Amino acid sequence: MFLTRSEYDRGVNTFSPEGRLFQVEYAIEAIKLGSTAVGIQTSEGVVLAVEKRVTSSLLEPSSIEKILEIDAHLGCAMSGLTADSRTMIDHARVEAQNHWFTYNEKIKVESVTQAVCDLALRFGEGAEGEESIMSRPFGVALLIAGVDEKGPQLFHADPSGTFMRYDAKAIGSGSEGAQGELQEHYNKSLTLKEAEVLALRVLKQVMEEKLNATNVQLATVTAEKGFRIHNEEETAAVITQLA
Amino acid sequence: MPITHEYQSASPVKAPVEHRFSPYTDNGGTALAVAGEDFCVVAGDTRQSEGYHINSRYQPKVFQLSNGSVLATGGMYADAVTLVKRLEQRLEWYYHQHEKKMSVDALAQMLSVILYHKRFFPYYVWNTLGGIDGNGKGCVFSYDPVGNYEKHHWNCTGSAGHLIQPFLDNQIGFKHMQGIQRRFLTPEEVVRIVKDSFTSATERDIYTGDYVEIFIVTAGGIDVQRVPLKRD
Repeated sequence: MFLTRSEYDRGVNTFSPEGRLFQVEYAIEAIKLGSTAVGIQTSEGVVLAVEKRVTSSLLEPSSIEKILEIDAHLGCAMSGLTADSRTMIDHARVEAQNHWFTYNEKIKVESVTQAVCDLALRFGEGAEGEESIMSRPFGVALLIAGVDEKGPQLFHADPSGTFMRYDAKAIGSGSEGAQGELQEHYNKSLTLKEAEVLALRVLKQVMEEKLNATNVQLATVTAEKGFRIHNEEETAAVITQLA
Repeated sequence: MPITHEYQSASPVKAPVEHRFSPYTDNGGTALAVAGEDFCVVAGDTRQSEGYHINSRYQPKVFQLSNGSVLATGGMYADAVTLVKRLEQRLEWYYHQHEKKMSVDALAQMLSVILYHKRFFPYYVWNTLGGIDGNGKGCVFSYDPVGNYEKHHWNCTGSAGHLIQPFLDNQIGFKHMQGIQRRFLTPEEVVRIVKDSFTSATERDIYTGDYVEIFIVTAGGIDVQRVPLKRD
């Protein structure tokens, strides 16, 4: 593999003879360097949990934002080059608002995910007439959670513009271990409260630092309350149930 | 003596002869819609006029849309046809993008947006949209040409709108009646009232006549009836 890389990993729009786009594959690698993020879907709603890497005692933990709101019924957790997500989240928010403006209804979770993925492959020279925004693929993966007429749903979108629906999904540096844990402990009858605990338990196992209320962030999306980020007290309350 | 003056007019008052193109015309006709408890009736006559001429005795201006709703139009027919084409295109895009049919409420909002986007060169059309909403209830929306819209239980627009509306207020909405039990009408009762409305309007309004086409929208589908009206 390494022998043939030399020539074909330069241009972002050039296939290698084996039919691969190396820059896209490298972008997917970039996510594996990011902090771990977990999403769990239940019948009551979706839980998102992320690890915050507080690299210095002088760093203000609340300034690390890895869970963001897209619309009142949609939330998003990320891993990778989080700066790249700004373009994608912005696009998702505009798409959600436009849908509401035009149709007076909430956009579906799948539709907003599709919209983000349409953007993910718009790198390189750009098609004729249209200005391209990015010169390289996005280096970030998203877990998009939401509730619509089909109920609570969780989607995973990666830099290749592929998206898939999951019951539970982990991304980032600890994703392999975390996914295994989810596989083992997930079941369809999980309550939202149980899913919150499971999400933190999974994070705890893959995090290098000791998990506490400041170095993780938890959010839920439910039909009743929509998207909500837990504050430190609420997060701490979930942590006490971990033991 | 030939008139060599720049004002080529025989009139004693000298005024320049204006040559102006008017992009709009009113093709007349009447449309109405009534929302029942779990159905909706939309109807319109099929006469198309221009001044004292009748262009056609059968040119329907009530359109069945692909999402199961019915749009009744009035005003300029050419604009209405273009508008319906655009709506159908948007309905298909929506269907493929979101993998579901557009609800009548969503279509109602979209129609308003489409009309307002032409705020300064409007489609010269008065729309009435009828269908079954997400809760299975009949619904009616009416519009002005720039997209103001309102949800009603019944509405009548067009050249005989002012004749039929008060009749519907009384017969459908039980207005100005005392000691009566208000209730939802059955589809058969509504269709009877619609037929009476159009036969009466035909007597008084020269732009309404020939046929009335009645669309009965239920959860099971759309039934269409064509009833002849007087042709004079």
